[in-house]
Amino acid sequence: MLDLVRPKIDIRGVSKTYASVDGPVVALRDTNLAVNEGEFVSIVGPSGCGKSTLLYIVGGFLDADGEVVIDGAPITGPGTDRGVVFQEYALFPWLTVRNNIGYGLERQGVPAAEGEKIVDRLIGVIGLAGFENRYPRELSGGMKQRVAIARTLACDPAILLLDEPFGALDAQTREIMQDELLRIWLGTRKTVLLVTHDVTEAVYLSNRICVMSARPGQIIEEFVVTLDRERPREELVLSPEFNNIRNEVWLCVRRQALVAGQQNAGPS
Amino acid sequence: MPDRLKKTFGSGLWLMGRAAPLVLFGAVWQGLASSGLVNRDFLPSPISVAAAFTDLFSGGDIAKNLFVTLFRAAAGLIAGAACGVWIGLMMARSQHFKEYVMPIVGGTYSLPKSALIPLFALWFGIGNATAIAAVFLACLLPMIVNTYHGVTTTPKVLVWSAQALGTTGREVWSRVYLRNALPDILTGLRIALGFSFVLAISAEMIASTNGIGKLIFMYGENGAYDYMFAAIACVVVVAFFADRGLVLVTRRLLGWHESATAEQGRRRA
Repeated sequence: MLDLVRPKIDIRGVSKTYASVDGPVVALRDTNLAVNEGEFVSIVGPSGCGKSTLLYIVGGFLDADGEVVIDGAPITGPGTDRGVVFQEYALFPWLTVRNNIGYGLERQGVPAAEGEKIVDRLIGVIGLAGFENRYPRELSGGMKQRVAIARTLACDPAILLLDEPFGALDAQTREIMQDELLRIWLGTRKTVLLVTHDVTEAVYLSNRICVMSARPGQIIEEFVVTLDRERPREELVLSPEFNNIRNEVWLCVRRQALVAGQQNAGPS
Repeated sequence: MPDRLKKTFGSGLWLMGRAAPLVLFGAVWQGLASSGLVNRDFLPSPISVAAAFTDLFSGGDIAKNLFVTLFRAAAGLIAGAACGVWIGLMMARSQHFKEYVMPIVGGTYSLPKSALIPLFALWFGIGNATAIAAVFLACLLPMIVNTYHGVTTTPKVLVWSAQALGTTGREVWSRVYLRNALPDILTGLRIALGFSFVLAISAEMIASTNGIGKLIFMYGENGAYDYMFAAIACVVVVAFFADRGLVLVTRRLLGWHESATAEQGRRRA
């Protein structure tokens, strides 16, 4: 049931400081963000602003000050309620396509016959029939990322955490993958948190875009996107509404990128 | 030509190509020995070595000694490999453990382990224990170093992915870290395999009453160089097949690894 009172993901006062050779670096300072169930939220910002760090904290992979609350309970580590897709695919190189997709099902004790069915269906969805027994090294970047997404979807997590998932793909493949992700999201209405540096991608996919400041990262501005997702890409991307919001977000990110550039140029 | 015949013919040619340098080596050796340029007592001809070889085998004595040596090498290798993997893994898991063990590993890595055989003989006496201890120590270090490297170079995102897919606490070590380290562990094992023969034979030469090492030493002492060479040849053959066997197993286990592509490509070409 849709919970309208309680956000699905509640990031409360999260701060993160890294130790480095030049002393401690504050990556995130008092970051707050609430994501509702079924929402698709993107986080954009200049590189090095801590947006991936924030995603890893939500994933439970990194410790931080403050708390991340999922469905009302603070997280204590990684969990199967949060599926993750990384930019570098992170497929297990020693497992075939089939076994990569089935890995989580097997770990979570799904009966083999049922697991097989889920894996077969997903292989069809990602269009990799015939490649079931290939190893990741034999696949192209786009194919690998499809497998990574299928592996995450197999366990049917309520939340998807996507860390620049299409960043390593060429422009054409990236657009195809974005359309696939959009279709999957429209079909399942999972709660999605996407980190990206691609403003067009964020506008094309999300309900809401959060812009992060230069380091130390904080969410400084939010944009609500109310575009009709059912419209074809060409029409949508060329429409004035799309471009208005894209330009607004882009200018906002650009300002932060310039600040970040000055930070990096100046004495640190 | 039918495909199968072509293939057989092709692999026959390939085998001949591979064997040619060995045949040439044998011919030069035989020529050198027959020409009288070197004293025959010091360098027996391949033909007299072959004669000694058949004589040794017909006696059955060599098989018994070979078995003793193989047992010592295998026991030390298996124990050393198992402990090496465990220590390498523990070093990667625990910073404390690493801080204690790293200086010892670094300090003893390049030490020739055969230098310790007289000491082991003093501690463990003449025979199995000394040889196995020497092999164990020699195999231990490459296994530690390679396992540690393989485990610590595991990409974080693989561990995180496994955790987000329901892999709990300790399972991560067997399902991700050790799997990722497997290519390095097998590299270490190949190095250790070589060491296991070297150390088993060295230990037998110094502190044993039997084994191939003892035979080699004994024939050398008595000036029976053709028999000595025959015993050495025996070790060469066994060690070669052991190494080939390990390479085959490795290829089978690492079908997923990048190195497999190069191997397959080369074989196809």
